[in-house]
Amino acid sequence: MNRLIEISTIAFCWLSAALLLGAIGIIFGYLFIKGFNTVSLMLIFGETPPIEAILFKRPVLEGLFPAILGTLALVVFSVSLAVPIGLSTGIYLAEYAPPRTKRIFNLFFDVLAGIPSIVIGLFGFSLALFLHKHYSKNIQPCLLISSLALAFLVLPYLIRTTQVTLENLPPSTRMTALALGATKLQNILFVLIPKSFSGIISGVILAIGRCAEDTAVIMLTGVVAMAGIPKSLLSKYEALPFYIYYISSQYKDTRELMTGYGASLILLFLCILLFSIAFFLKRQLTYLALYRA
Amino acid sequence: MEERVKVKIRELFFSYQGRSVLKGISADFEEHSITAIIGPSGVGKSTLLTTINRLWETIPGAVMRGRVEIKFNGSFQDIYRPSFSLPQLRRKVGMVFQVPNPLPMSIYKNVAFPLKLAGMKDKDKIRQNVEKALNQAYLWEEVKDRLNEDALSLSIGQQQRLCIARTLVLEPEILLLDEPTSSLDKKAATVIENLLSNIKSRYTIIIVSHYLDQVRRIADHVIELSDGRVSNHFN
Amino acid sequence: MMRPQEWIAEKVFFLSAIFSVTITLTIFGFMVILGFPLIQKGHALSLLSKPWIPENGFYGIYPMIIGSLAISSLGVAIAFPISLGCASMISVLGPRPLNLIMRKGVELMTGIPTVIYGFVGIFLLVPIVRELFKQGSGLCVLSASLMLALLVSPTMILFFSDSFSQVPQSYLTAIEALGGSKVQKLYHIILPYTRKGLLIGTLLAFGRGLGDTLIALMLAGNAITVPGSLLDSARTLTSHIALVIAADYESLEFKSIFLCGMVLYLFTTLVIVGVRFIGIREDRRKA
Repeated sequence: MNRLIEISTIAFCWLSAALLLGAIGIIFGYLFIKGFNTVSLMLIFGETPPIEAILFKRPVLEGLFPAILGTLALVVFSVSLAVPIGLSTGIYLAEYAPPRTKRIFNLFFDVLAGIPSIVIGLFGFSLALFLHKHYSKNIQPCLLISSLALAFLVLPYLIRTTQVTLENLPPSTRMTALALGATKLQNILFVLIPKSFSGIISGVILAIGRCAEDTAVIMLTGVVAMAGIPKSLLSKYEALPFYIYYISSQYKDTRELMTGYGASLILLFLCILLFSIAFFLKRQLTYLALYRA
Repeated sequence: MEERVKVKIRELFFSYQGRSVLKGISADFEEHSITAIIGPSGVGKSTLLTTINRLWETIPGAVMRGRVEIKFNGSFQDIYRPSFSLPQLRRKVGMVFQVPNPLPMSIYKNVAFPLKLAGMKDKDKIRQNVEKALNQAYLWEEVKDRLNEDALSLSIGQQQRLCIARTLVLEPEILLLDEPTSSLDKKAATVIENLLSNIKSRYTIIIVSHYLDQVRRIADHVIELSDGRVSNHFN
Repeated sequence: MMRPQEWIAEKVFFLSAIFSVTITLTIFGFMVILGFPLIQKGHALSLLSKPWIPENGFYGIYPMIIGSLAISSLGVAIAFPISLGCASMISVLGPRPLNLIMRKGVELMTGIPTVIYGFVGIFLLVPIVRELFKQGSGLCVLSASLMLALLVSPTMILFFSDSFSQVPQSYLTAIEALGGSKVQKLYHIILPYTRKGLLIGTLLAFGRGLGDTLIALMLAGNAITVPGSLLDSARTLTSHIALVIAADYESLEFKSIFLCGMVLYLFTTLVIVGVRFIGIREDRRKA
């Protein structure tokens, strides 16, 4: 092999790595430099004293608190909706489905995973339209609709994680309880799911992260720039990622723009934290699986 | 015997993930002969072999201390010297593994491949060397009409001879074989044993084996390992 | 005690699965039903190939289709060599402590929200593009593609890296024992062996690029014209949906977003099916 090809290949690879890490470093650095000063209790709570804000005694008018709460509410509701369905579907695919059905269903879920988030948002919007016309005039794009749509968004992640984790359990684990007389359901509930726990949890955390960062879905299903704390499931709400998007084009002065940087830092930190936990759990699982086997 | 020593190992200590495997090995390997390394399972025979072509360095968590010197061009050289080129070393010290590992290519390409790696470009020269190596490995007659077939279509005995040919094509000085006949049936094993006996006059052959009758048949020297140390050598 | 519980549980699991499948189909169904008036009025095929002329009452989404394809293709084209280089570093060439750190770094990158890329893009990248080329506003195909490349690279790198690690160890040991260098290992064994994996990873990234909304929305300019050059403003199918959603929902203009939704759904499904197909052929070849 040519000495020249060797050297240029190695150089190219180092260059790519430097380019990528450099770009990401610039992004982090830029946000940090611009936003670090704004991250403070004032950014989150505005003029309102934090304790009173948290206890909902007084509204926060100029802080990120409503947006943070909105994001939190979204995450809680959508994950609560998605987890039971995703888990059950995953269990069905891993434990009960005949091979042909499994392949077909997997294809459907791959398609679902591939659907752009804005299309899912559009679906949520259409759903709201549909319910508005045929069910109750009270229903419009709102927290509930957004949560439903986000649930559909993360459903494939949960299905896949549950299915893959269950399928990767060693055959010996699978057969132990059965050999002792357990039924299929008992095996699943008392042995297989507990053993798959950290894998499933990592999938849930990934779903949480996805719900927290998504902007496209919520843009079409009820998020607004000013709404205060979400009063009910049927009300409009604020969310952190939308705030960042909104501020980027609608900021009136430097101070408002700076809050955008601060919000970006908070969101960035939150998502990276969640994804790190998920990856850490996945690593733990692999380690345990290899060690056990 | 000193003039005929090809490989010198002195005070070799090897540990892997904290566990000590070789505990102070010193041995000489004579050129143009077959030296067999025997001993119980797991005692470190294969590990000892990999210290001679420095292949153990690809395993994370492995640590080695000691000297390994090989006589190249009349003088002994410390192969762990930082300036010693690894690819060069491995062209002079070839290795054949317990389970044959042909590459996913045709029979011809498998044997031509090391030449390509080493930078040989002349197609005729490559062809000559490939034929020569396959002859040495007692495989030419069997494959000469199907050189373009997938190497994986050969029987396992033939695959092992292919791997030997692939190693010989570089014209190494030392041949390391790690239980080369363990995966083969008696007939295929015998072919390889004859092969080795016939080529030993041109190479220094070091073979790990746990078949004592095989050792009796072909080895000129035997080194026995036990508990990480040399416990015996015979001639 | 056993039988009825078992039976119910199985049915519950099955129903969840059916529900999930139904959702997948319903999404497409809604797109078709709600976009139907528009399809009726102007024939579907011409809608996909004609420009957007509201004055004529004609809402062709061709410019957006081109916009989507252009930005995704360029983004993936930029990301591919960089991802390949990084994956090679991580799996083959990099010195041991460094490549583990790199992999951790890349894994972390997959958690960065899209809106952050858009935000930094507007305030950092766009001015640079504007200054560098002295043309246009900086909100253009180039800016969007660059950021998109950054977005899809981490997933591509991890995918490629995983493909590399599936090469059988026996081949790697063989080439090591023959004195092959790391670069030789890469070119002669690893890259040929993982060809299909590389293709699949690239296709998946392309699908992801097509589906992205925020980067295109914030950085590409959103003009409803077919982009003529890298520095032209463009609109994608995704950003079109986000922009028109605020319009009057009885209007035909509004219905165009469902057509966009349909096209996006079909595009990404095509990518998924294509990837499946390649994967199946690959498994058959190995078996």
